[in-house]
Amino acid sequence: MRIGYILRESLTNLRRNVLMTVASLLTVTLSLALAGAALLFRSSVDNATVQFRGGFEITVFMQPEATKAQVDAIGRELKAMPELSRYRFVSKEEAFADIQRLYRNSPEILDSYPEAKFAPEQWRVKPRDAADIEAIGKRFKKRAGVYEVSFARSIKTILTVTGWIQNVILIVAGALLVSAIVLILNTIRMAIFSRRREVAVMKLVGATNGFIRLPFMVEGMLQGAIGALVSFGILAAGTSAAQSAIRNSTVGLLKQFSVTGSEVVTTGIILVVIGTAVGAIGSALAVSRFLDV
Amino acid sequence: MIRIENVSKVYRNKTVALRNISCEIGKGEFVFLVGSSGSGKSTFMRLLLKEETPTEGSIWVAGKNIGELSGAKVPYLRRNIGCIFQDFKLLPNKTVTENVAFALEVIGRPRSVIHQQVPQILELVGLTKKADSFPSELSGGEQQRVSIARAFVNRPLILLADEPTGNLDPNTSVGIMRLLDRINRTGTTVLMATHDQGIVDSMRRRVVELDRGSLVRDQARGVYGTLE
Repeated sequence: MRIGYILRESLTNLRRNVLMTVASLLTVTLSLALAGAALLFRSSVDNATVQFRGGFEITVFMQPEATKAQVDAIGRELKAMPELSRYRFVSKEEAFADIQRLYRNSPEILDSYPEAKFAPEQWRVKPRDAADIEAIGKRFKKRAGVYEVSFARSIKTILTVTGWIQNVILIVAGALLVSAIVLILNTIRMAIFSRRREVAVMKLVGATNGFIRLPFMVEGMLQGAIGALVSFGILAAGTSAAQSAIRNSTVGLLKQFSVTGSEVVTTGIILVVIGTAVGAIGSALAVSRFLDV
Repeated sequence: MIRIENVSKVYRNKTVALRNISCEIGKGEFVFLVGSSGSGKSTFMRLLLKEETPTEGSIWVAGKNIGELSGAKVPYLRRNIGCIFQDFKLLPNKTVTENVAFALEVIGRPRSVIHQQVPQILELVGLTKKADSFPSELSGGEQQRVSIARAFVNRPLILLADEPTGNLDPNTSVGIMRLLDRINRTGTTVLMATHDQGIVDSMRRRVVELDRGSLVRDQARGVYGTLE
């Protein structure tokens, strides 16, 4: 009966202050959608740049069905190039192991590499002079059996730019979260005011402080959680649209900027936790300041 | 049931509301608290509910020193004390039944208990036929009966009444007093602050008189003004 009472009271309050509730919901939604976008963005950048850890600046991906002769031809060519400081071959088995390790949280990527023979062989190359990267990369792009060449340098530029974008988004999201707290605080304050008679009677007949406070707390947390769920919906839809755009894009580099379903779900859980916390903080502030029990 | 020892109350603006009051009220007593406005009657009541704490002295309610109660225990103290007021303090958007049930609901009583006790208490106060009316549809006397039902439905040990007849005509007041008397006969201690001379004089119960914060008279079977 208690749970029924608390939910009923919270929902009645939400309905009574529709405008304020909508304002705080929108703010929560917007701020969390931004925060979530920043998080997913970082995941995708991480996914795109994972292959460049270890100091190699160019990776030549062979097609999975490339012949041994084609792979060896590239190797011979690399060996003959004095401008390289080092290079190394990544076998199907090693690439497969890498994939297993790097994408262990991403079942749909793992599913597309059920066996080692589907993994691409790779040559990882580091030139002596960074200025040669572009030229070396271009040279291998058209070779038989090569699927794609990716460059660390363009990735580095992207990393810098995306880092900035991400920071700006997070700052805006943070500011919006603070205003969400204030708006929720105000909504709860109005709810407390509109129920002051009930609160007075509850105190009079000996309702415990927790019992008086709980519906207001639940109301604030519901606002936060609902806002988070809506923002998660927006993000999930946005992500899948962006993913399909990327998949159809002709720019090879972009194809590596992908996020996995489990990353989206994790982000969603983080958002709901943050949203509920924002609601709890806002309503706790309102309850402690305006509910005199 | 209520014991007050050397209690003084000075508000923050230096108003002295009560001056070194001592008084004991036994179980099942009916006591009138009289005195002009500002004599300290309301402060006296608020101290018993621990809505205020005394500046000095100690107060025992139902065997407990309420000065030692932590804030979290105060609600349980209040469950032992029913309260009624001049302005009824009913919830306008709830029916009579809902107003009374609300008092049980918010202290966590199970629904079965509520369904059983609310009709009983409405019968006691004579409002069975008005169970589904809203307060605005009731007369002043009826509203006060609802408020008494709400205060008494949890069977408190003590009933505090702060000028319960202040807004009612004399005939209606007599009905309310009969009801309070009936509740008193069930063993409930009743403490009633009032200005109503006719009621005090006709009931001839114990009278405690406050004057500018001091206890000036404590008389068994007393009347409103001092008998010369």
